[in-house]
Amino acid sequence: MRNALLAATVAAVMLAGCQQAADNPAANADTPTGQVLPIRDNAAVLVRAPATKAAALKLMHDRHESMEQIGKAMKVAGRELKASAPNLAAVRASAATIASLAPKVPSWFPPGTGPDVGKTMAKPEIWQKPADFAARTKSFQQAALAFNAAAQGTDLTTIKAKFGDMAKTCKGCHDPYRTEHKK
Amino acid sequence: MKAPVWDLPIRLFHWLLTGLIGFSWWSVRFDHTDWHIWSGIAILTLLVFRLLWGFFGSSTARFANFVRGPAAVVAYLRDSSSWRAAGHSPLGALSVVALLAAIAVQVGLGLFSTDPDGLFEGPLASLVSIDATDTARDFHELWFYVLLALIVMHIGAILYYRFMLSTKLTSSMISGRLALKPGTEPMRPARWWVAVLCLAAAFAVARWVVAGAPPISP
Repeated sequence: MRNALLAATVAAVMLAGCQQAADNPAANADTPTGQVLPIRDNAAVLVRAPATKAAALKLMHDRHESMEQIGKAMKVAGRELKASAPNLAAVRASAATIASLAPKVPSWFPPGTGPDVGKTMAKPEIWQKPADFAARTKSFQQAALAFNAAAQGTDLTTIKAKFGDMAKTCKGCHDPYRTEHKK
Repeated sequence: MKAPVWDLPIRLFHWLLTGLIGFSWWSVRFDHTDWHIWSGIAILTLLVFRLLWGFFGSSTARFANFVRGPAAVVAYLRDSSSWRAAGHSPLGALSVVALLAAIAVQVGLGLFSTDPDGLFEGPLASLVSIDATDTARDFHELWFYVLLALIVMHIGAILYYRFMLSTKLTSSMISGRLALKPGTEPMRPARWWVAVLCLAAAFAVARWVVAGAPPISP
């Protein structure tokens, strides 16, 4: 029950977070299409391990939920972009959700949140090759912001191209750093 | 004296299907979801071909010649000499039908699935809701174990024939020939062009599915 409550709270906080992002697409509207927005440096947040096992497990659970949220937004955007008359509002909402979560990805993988701690699809290689992992999450972050910037416009060719670029960065990290099955 | 029991289309179907099922497992396990989807479409093509070949193909391929009711299966189990046709026995028919049906279910689920990341989707996924595509994938993953169980039973039966009955079924699926008991009805082969027509029809169905099953206008 406590876990469910926690999960609900976390979900609510996250939803609120993306609501904000979704409500505020104008913030990026004046960014020229395709230009990469400035990115905060997340290197510092990667190093600190959770203090307790319970905290680590909670982080891992939240990480999974957030990744699923990104996946869901990808499906909504992908479906719209494939449609004959895409609903750009839906694409923008998805782009905003992904762009708001993408910068947080490095903070979801502190040491002590790998398969030795609990059930996760994250591979130990994440913590063995931190520089490469950080570079790949940064590529995703840049691609997510570029997609979000493109989605503010109405040029479907560019939006689709930026969506495709971003999809490649998802795979670019999942292929080397995620297992197919939960252990 | 060995006699023909499996025609070339059946043997090609069998071994291509075997290879593609293995490839489907490998490709999705090792992050080649795009190849996995095409492999599924190739399996769909084979299944449609097999269905048609089961009506218009050689005698040992036709469902009407080997699919029997429970009474015939029981009679065959009591006395195997009660079955006198080349090809599948009434018991083997159960395995054939179960395998083909299970593979059809697996392909069907795959057509409506998306991957968890929203990067790949089956050709029919956009016909249903996003939640439905996730459910389809969940069942697609689970159903693989049903398929695996049937494959294990299939291989078990082949080993039983090999070591208990001294009958080499695997080589007969390669050469197409098997030593038959005297008095067994031989295979009546179908014309080669019937196979070409069945294959063309199978390709047409697969193409239509890849296009997302659009309405057919005459």
